[in-house]
Amino acid sequence: MNTFETIAKLLAESKDMDVNDIRPDMSFSDLELDSLDVAELVMNLEDELGVAVEIDESLRTIADLVAKVDADKQ
Amino acid sequence: MMNSVLVQELGLTYPIFQGGMAWVSDAALAAAVSNAGGLGIISAMNLDAEYLRGQIQKCRTLTDKPFGVNVMLMSPHVQEVAQVCAQEAPAVVTTGAGLPNQYMKPWLEAGIRVIPVVPSTAMAKLVERAGAYAVIAEGGESGGHVGDLSTITLVPQVVDAVSIPVIAAGGIADGRGAAVAFMLGAVGVQCGTVFLCAEECTVHDNYKQKVLAARDIDTIVTGKRLGHAVRSIRNPFTKRYAKQEYNPQCTDDELEALGVGALRKAAVEGDLDNGCFLAGQAAAMVHAIRPAKEIIETMFTQAEQLLKGAPAWVK
Repeated sequence: MNTFETIAKLLAESKDMDVNDIRPDMSFSDLELDSLDVAELVMNLEDELGVAVEIDESLRTIADLVAKVDADKQ
Repeated sequence: MMNSVLVQELGLTYPIFQGGMAWVSDAALAAAVSNAGGLGIISAMNLDAEYLRGQIQKCRTLTDKPFGVNVMLMSPHVQEVAQVCAQEAPAVVTTGAGLPNQYMKPWLEAGIRVIPVVPSTAMAKLVERAGAYAVIAEGGESGGHVGDLSTITLVPQVVDAVSIPVIAAGGIADGRGAAVAFMLGAVGVQCGTVFLCAEECTVHDNYKQKVLAARDIDTIVTGKRLGHAVRSIRNPFTKRYAKQEYNPQCTDDELEALGVGALRKAAVEGDLDNGCFLAGQAAAMVHAIRPAKEIIETMFTQAEQLLKGAPAWVK
């Protein structure tokens, strides 16, 4: 499972969404995620992948988050 | 006297912060609370850098005690306000309505203790990692921006999630609430609503009267649809807003426009029909306009008595 698929799975579980409705180009606001939801997603992602992810307001889309996680994995 | 890391390390007499309330928490109120031995906090709200700089400088003329600044992260001026904080270096910066991590480095370099308000354990962990000195775990009983969890469930979970100090907020207006906070694992409390009725609070008198008249069921949460829920006292404004919030014909932009300027109308003009009177559920526990010093001393005299009496419950 790649990073995007992991994020989509976690979002689908926590926000009761259909995993097929989640696309990389979607912004957090498209998905109706506020800062609280994003913080929750990141903590779950860290547990799942075993990496520390530092987030800030420059992250706007799922693709941004995927890129950040993959960079932090290196 | 209360024994707390906030007393030992922040130079307070009482482990209490006065919450940063938009259009309410100005230099006069912050200085009064700091002079009374708590931590007064100036709200940067959604105004610009010069307003904040002026308030910080005014506060320094009114007190030689430590005080803080609250940065509202949804403010359109948040970048410049964050810079003013780093330049002026108040003892403490608290943050609300978001994740402050991207602004924290310069504050920490300036020697400021950064204490974000958090509504969840995930947020508490993220700010701890970024160098927060403590967090304020604020339950949904509070006024203004609210999360879903209540204080009694949020505080112990945050205490378990992080290893930095936790300050409890939401629903605390007397010594009973303060005593509970310590039992939940907090090292202090933050109160907003009770200070709305401080003598030194410069908010319009209609606002104070609204708080004094509030009953237990008189607050309402609106704005969930736009992703920023706030608690305020019911009035014609909240009735209109709540009706539109559940009206599918009303667009998000129209709903947003309905709220513009409502806080100022309440706090500055005392407009009972069109103002949004932010207050927590503890409004009904506020019965008099008193000096900040009396509010704090009464609260901690009661808290100390209750905590000293706690062994009576154990056989």
